[in-house]
Amino acid sequence: MKIQDYLNTDYAQKCREAYNKAKAIQDKTNATITFIDPQKRLNDKLEGRLKGVAIALKDNVSTRDIKTTAASRILDNYIPQYDAHIVDLLNKEGAVIIGKSNMDELAMGGTNLTSYFGLCHNPYDLSRISGGSSGGSAVLVAANVVPCAIGSDTGDSVRKPASYCGVVGVKPSYGRISRYGIIPYASSLDHVGYFTTNVKDAALMLEVLSGRDDRDMTSSYNPVENYSELLNADIQDKKILIFDNVLAAINNSEIVDLFNSLVTALTDKGAIIEHVSFNDDLLRAMLPAYYIIANAEATANHSNLDGILFGHREEGESTDDIMINTRTKGFGPWIKKRFVVGSYALFEENQERLFRKAQKIRRLIVEEVLSKLKDADILLAPAAPGAAPLIAGQTTDELSDESLIADNHMVIANFGGLPSMTVPMGYIDNLPIGVNLTANPFKEQVMFDVALAIEEYTGLGGAVKEVL
Amino acid sequence: MEIDEIKKLALDLKFALSDDEARDIQNDFSILDKKLALFDKIDTTNVEEMIYPFDVETSFLREDTVGHYLSQDEALANVAKVKQGHVVVPKVVK
Amino acid sequence: MEYDVVVGLEIHLELKTATKMFSSSPYAFKDPANSDTGEIDLAHPGTLPCVNKEAVRKAIEACTALNLTIDPLIRFDRKNYYYSDLPKGYQITQQFHPIGRNGYIEIFVDGKYKKIRINRIHMEEDTAKQFHLFDETLIDYNRAGVPLLELVSEPDMASGEEAALYLEKLRQTLNYLEVSDVKMEEGSMRCDVNVSIKAKGSEVFGTKVEIKNLNSINNVKNAIDYEAHRQQKCLENGEAIIQETRRFDEKSQTTVSMRKKEGSVDYKYFPEPNIFPIRLSEDFIADIQKNMPELPDAKFKRYVNDFGLSDYDADLIIANKNLCAYFDEIMQEKVNAKLTANLLSSELSGILSKNNLSFADNPISAHHFAALVKMIDKGEVSSKQGKEILNEMLKGEDPESIAKEKGMKQLSDESAILAIVTSVLDDNPQSISDFKNGKDRALGYLVGQVMKRSKGQANPKLANELVTKELAKR
Repeated sequence: MKIQDYLNTDYAQKCREAYNKAKAIQDKTNATITFIDPQKRLNDKLEGRLKGVAIALKDNVSTRDIKTTAASRILDNYIPQYDAHIVDLLNKEGAVIIGKSNMDELAMGGTNLTSYFGLCHNPYDLSRISGGSSGGSAVLVAANVVPCAIGSDTGDSVRKPASYCGVVGVKPSYGRISRYGIIPYASSLDHVGYFTTNVKDAALMLEVLSGRDDRDMTSSYNPVENYSELLNADIQDKKILIFDNVLAAINNSEIVDLFNSLVTALTDKGAIIEHVSFNDDLLRAMLPAYYIIANAEATANHSNLDGILFGHREEGESTDDIMINTRTKGFGPWIKKRFVVGSYALFEENQERLFRKAQKIRRLIVEEVLSKLKDADILLAPAAPGAAPLIAGQTTDELSDESLIADNHMVIANFGGLPSMTVPMGYIDNLPIGVNLTANPFKEQVMFDVALAIEEYTGLGGAVKEVL
Repeated sequence: MEIDEIKKLALDLKFALSDDEARDIQNDFSILDKKLALFDKIDTTNVEEMIYPFDVETSFLREDTVGHYLSQDEALANVAKVKQGHVVVPKVVK
Repeated sequence: MEYDVVVGLEIHLELKTATKMFSSSPYAFKDPANSDTGEIDLAHPGTLPCVNKEAVRKAIEACTALNLTIDPLIRFDRKNYYYSDLPKGYQITQQFHPIGRNGYIEIFVDGKYKKIRINRIHMEEDTAKQFHLFDETLIDYNRAGVPLLELVSEPDMASGEEAALYLEKLRQTLNYLEVSDVKMEEGSMRCDVNVSIKAKGSEVFGTKVEIKNLNSINNVKNAIDYEAHRQQKCLENGEAIIQETRRFDEKSQTTVSMRKKEGSVDYKYFPEPNIFPIRLSEDFIADIQKNMPELPDAKFKRYVNDFGLSDYDADLIIANKNLCAYFDEIMQEKVNAKLTANLLSSELSGILSKNNLSFADNPISAHHFAALVKMIDKGEVSSKQGKEILNEMLKGEDPESIAKEKGMKQLSDESAILAIVTSVLDDNPQSISDFKNGKDRALGYLVGQVMKRSKGQANPKLANELVTKELAKR
């Protein structure tokens, strides 16, 4: 489904269909946490670039008077009294929000297996994960329910599920889209992102969602360009860097082959290809550094979840007991783990060798990627070392290069706030696999241009997988 | 790290861990330790911490005029226990 | 064994801004509970802090007035702990980069000026207010997020008296700056104290004891004096001083140990990721400094040097901010400063208090008051008459009209007085010969007669001159 399909049509009908379809696939996919009947909104006079377009929001996006849970028990009754900034923007452009989608609890995960409301199934193979943390949103777009769904990306939580679900997933530059109203994971790494089925829609969505918001003091003043209008698939002389370390760490030769064919095609289109290699030790340290920084910030960010002012309050004899009981029962086990580790890294006696060391490693990594991208346009790599894993637990060697580098390289773009997106690259065993493009900060236009060129080559623009 | 230490860490964060959960975290710490060994390979002498994705300054400051805020009802809409417009909790002893 | 007492003060000031430190919610002391809050103050998930320009401005003014070096790059940090009055579970503060460092203020003690150094000033946010009932606590989040300035002194004070003087001087300066209401009884100024003692002249500091819950300058003074004495007694008894937090019990005027905390708290400070460093331009800072209100020290210099007031009179005026503003307004009309000061403190104060009015409620305009000063200065009315007129001015009338109504205008016309003098001398030949025979009292009698005949309106000085002159001619 494309956004164009809604414009200049009977959008009311299409919205109702989207809503019903979301409900219809719920049993099989569990993609939605809260359904929002579009009838009320359809009674409004709708105007704008997304006039009547059905959209889903990841359930960490605050929606006024509509339950917002971040897939956590601790917020299972929380009703925000305000809308996130992007909700204001979507409403202003006439969008119709039909649901709050499933996600990893508090966005802390890469599988969507940790949600309080149960896991999310991949439309291409229901026995496989959707990926996360923005699993539900990826599924709703992949399953042809909505043309666009909003997610968030802290370590790759839009770009990885996009690869697993065969859709376009965008994480723009840091500060490009306001985070006001987005339930946080790690503030210096969080980005609002989104899914579409094609690059043109992705470019349009960035125009709608971007712009300075004074309520977010990390919000960018950079002008918002007419990304969709200026889209140009001519990549003659565009310099594309091939991320060799990732390729070297991928064991699946099919993926490597798919990727190399793509690179050949890009060369044929006139792109200048160069191979780059980062320091391997630095890349291996990237995931642990991410883990430390993200969990430390997350622990502090979620210190407000104690049941006193909002959320699911458990009883207790003392206020301390209330906090403890609320948080013990309210958080899933994975969250608790991350909090313990995160807070451990922040203790005064540990900060220097853990938290601050991780922040220094962050700087070294960002400096290296920026120096490589200085005279280039795009850094290119497969988005994942494999297709979506089976739900029935596969154990990964967490210390292998496949895990540290190939599975998690997209963190680079969160570290440095660089715009990064995943577009479908092809299929292995009928399962989607994506390719990841990363550009210099605020150079989304060239990122979309090259993405369009890739889409034209693969012919996978608009690809969806019906569940029923 | 000892199980008791881990449980205390959790309690400082205002939640309790079962023995199993604590053991699980103990395991995680040992994996983390190995991952952190990778830290040691990186020379970070004279490298400044990176706090934000960009090293950028802002000059924006908000004007001191009353803007949007919530009514008492809206402020208390999500509160479990309210009395005379106040949030109620068991007696807090400092 | 003689001891030196070492005192440091940590002060928290509520800034007088229209909105909170990180949100655009309003705040008023007496508003109904939880009616001055927004989603940011309540730490609702997804909210972000937004820095208040006026709070920064006031912080810069305070740093300037207290001689601190200002850091033009504003950075914030998180102080992490869990407590029922702290919605986010962390407080946004400036741990690593306070806005101001290394300042001082001077107190006048033991006949000379003493510099009390101020280590740092930084911005942070206030917590909610809790009301402890029998078995419940009620929480009002109105105050949560109100801008606070924290001022940390060096341990430069040596007694309760010096601490009280420091507080007074700070209060007065900050009051004139209009950055805060500085009312300890209302909580807009809060004070924690650190007290230790050491052997006289020793370089080694003793164990610090913190005292909290001090809600008046007097209590601060008494708490310090008691605590210093208590510590001295401890050491004399061979007991070690325990590092702890104590509270001051007003009734017994003693410090009492509070529940001991297990070990010190690790606040896990780290930089606030939601606020990019804020660069204050030189122009921005200079503009604020240029437009600051005149401070007490500057006013004192001006009153003594330019107006010739005595130290005492200058202090008296500066002690009351409303009176001082009134004085400044009057002096814009360039009238006699000493006369004005005198009239204000010895007459107007009394008249106002008799009528149950404060200087804030003073109905007499500065312009009218200046007019009265001019009249007295020129000799148009006597100072005694001036006091009468002042009383009448409470009703709002101007002094000239009042003087006219009461026929009070002093006679300063020389020829008119001369006429009266002549007629008095003509009528009192005996007094003339008495004076010529050395009875000086006769002069007074004759002048009195002139005053009587002019119904008290003759300028006494002039009358005396003319009588003396005419007597010489006869």
